[in-house]
Amino acid sequence: MDVHSRDYRARARQIIEETPEVREAVNAATQTFVDNRQKAFADLDGTALSRWAERVKSHALSHLADYLEEAEARLVERGAHVHWAETASDVHQIFECIVREQGVKKAVKAKSMLSEEIGLNPFLESCGVEVFETDLGEYIIQLLGEPPSHIVGPSIHKSLDDTRVIFHERLGTPRDASPERLAEAARDLLRDAFLTADLGISGGNFLVAETGSIALIENEGNIRLSTSVPRIHIALVGIEKVLPKWADLPTFLQVTAKSATGQPVGCFVSMIQGPGGSPGDEPDGPEELHVVLVDNGRSRLLADPEAWEALRCVRCGACLNICPVYRQTGGHAYGYVYSGPIGGILGPGLVGLEETLPLPFASSACGACADVCPVRIPIPDLLHVWRQRAVERGLTSDVERSVLGLLTSTATRPRLFGWAEKAAGLLPAPVLRHLPMLREWSAGREPPRLEGPTFRELWDEGIE
Amino acid sequence: MSDERVSKRARARILGRVREANQEREPVEHPGTLPDALEPPGPFGDAGRSDPVGAFEDRLRAAGGEVVRLADEAAARKWLEEFAREFESVSVGVGVPDTLQPALPKAQPSEAALGVSVAVGASAQTGSLVLSSKEGRRSQLLPPVHLIWVRAGDVHTTLGDALQACREDLPATLALHSGPSKSADIGQILVTGVHGPGRIIAAVLLGPRP
Ligand code: SF4
Repeated sequence: MDVHSRDYRARARQIIEETPEVREAVNAATQTFVDNRQKAFADLDGTALSRWAERVKSHALSHLADYLEEAEARLVERGAHVHWAETASDVHQIFECIVREQGVKKAVKAKSMLSEEIGLNPFLESCGVEVFETDLGEYIIQLLGEPPSHIVGPSIHKSLDDTRVIFHERLGTPRDASPERLAEAARDLLRDAFLTADLGISGGNFLVAETGSIALIENEGNIRLSTSVPRIHIALVGIEKVLPKWADLPTFLQVTAKSATGQPVGCFVSMIQGPGGSPGDEPDGPEELHVVLVDNGRSRLLADPEAWEALRCVRCGACLNICPVYRQTGGHAYGYVYSGPIGGILGPGLVGLEETLPLPFASSACGACADVCPVRIPIPDLLHVWRQRAVERGLTSDVERSVLGLLTSTATRPRLFGWAEKAAGLLPAPVLRHLPMLREWSAGREPPRLEGPTFRELWDEGIE
Repeated sequence: MSDERVSKRARARILGRVREANQEREPVEHPGTLPDALEPPGPFGDAGRSDPVGAFEDRLRAAGGEVVRLADEAAARKWLEEFAREFESVSVGVGVPDTLQPALPKAQPSEAALGVSVAVGASAQTGSLVLSSKEGRRSQLLPPVHLIWVRAGDVHTTLGDALQACREDLPATLALHSGPSKSADIGQILVTGVHGPGRIIAAVLLGPRP
């Protein structure tokens, strides 16, 4: 996928000024996620859980090569094909070979952020493969020709009416169709695709080294169908997705689901060890399983002693939901597949700082994201690392530099109110106007410590 | 370059870079299994331990599933006869005992009104039924209604226990079904039965294993 982060400020302004309904929809959806997450963790020792999860992921990453080899060996034993890809173009070549050899004409696809990262759909279409996104949210935005706006809810920026309009145009449903009627129309069309596709494509939430299992969490059943019904299944898995042991999986499944939507585990979980039908001994399931292990910048980020912790991310979206800045615009403003706080630390890490500026600055540094992250990624600290590097490399504007100068001089404690307010000075004016100005976020935190000019003062001086 | 050569070169380079990246890093120990104390309390804590079936029922119902408890096989057959009346056809997973199959015309999974499975286990903690691909997946996924038999003795307190019990004989795909298929992707309004079954009924067999 092309990266358009450079236009962040202009896009954020445009979204807020020209499509205020996006902000409304994103706010409502993320608030629901936040409330549900809170309820799910209410009775739990969330800190102990996240400490444990953090250590398992850090352990896995610090022994990553061995675990990848172990997972590969298990998968091969079970008759799966394991491929390795350094870059998007490697992934494309692997798909091209499979698609050509097998004469694939139609593919059903489950949601995979990695597939967005590497621009899989346009590539497959250029190979003459018809690709159906089967997650309802992904399907809606596929019809609209838009990228996902959220890593868990790709269409959260769309209202019921938006879907009514596009389904009316494309599927012929009544203009005032109920959500049930719309879902039914999509199901009928996609059911036919499931039954006639040669290829199913999925991502992978986790890859268990000990058993070679690819684990996937979902609610609709489209992942189960995509990985069960077509003759061939290709799973795209980032190399950082490794969990060491089978016994690690149940807790990770639960922690991820709770953090994402507040559910105990999601309606469906698939744990895939190998191909199913012939030559296997099972009645059905894909005859071929291909697992593509993708680097695409991950090994380089792993080598970065200050920024590697972003690789622990389980893509739950909790940091997006709680982020007062993300909530003003949704994901499209960021111009990169990963938006919000995690986008600000994965973007520069995976793609490069220059290409993804100003994403590390698109944050009010209020620290809420670090509080909800189930694997304890110190997101504000990592954002700060990238901001400092941007200044050191002369990539920032005068504005960013001046504000960052203030930050580094007064704030060693990024969660303090004052720091947050000043950091917010880096955001575009329309975003700022709508921020709940951090008062809610600071409630219950340490008292504000305001030193030097605040973002408002900077703003008055004509800084955007 | 062929697909295999691309992959082989990539493999060597990725593993090389990963090893190099980790050379300087202090290895982090695996923290071991999460102590039991960290298992959530509430319905799947103490209560879950003393009455896993009850906790399982609460959880699955909360997610929109249905649960019936059946005292023995005779009660199960009687209930099944009644239950099956509203369906016209059935697709049955491999290994569902004859006595637990409804007397309905068989149909392809994609055509059948009802799918019937036998779970290999269940988890009270998450309200999940554990299904094996060895019985065939299509009848688990394609019919709009899914009836799943599970023995009370196979209902584990935690998801960890339920998965551990499958560890030695993992099928091609092990699946958890923990509620009807649902989505809130259309305007954040919850709809059920999107792609997978819109109704899921867990029939818990309380009697001893025959
Ligand atoms: S950074 Fe943490 S909170 Fe954000 S998506 Fe990743 S795991 Fe979730």
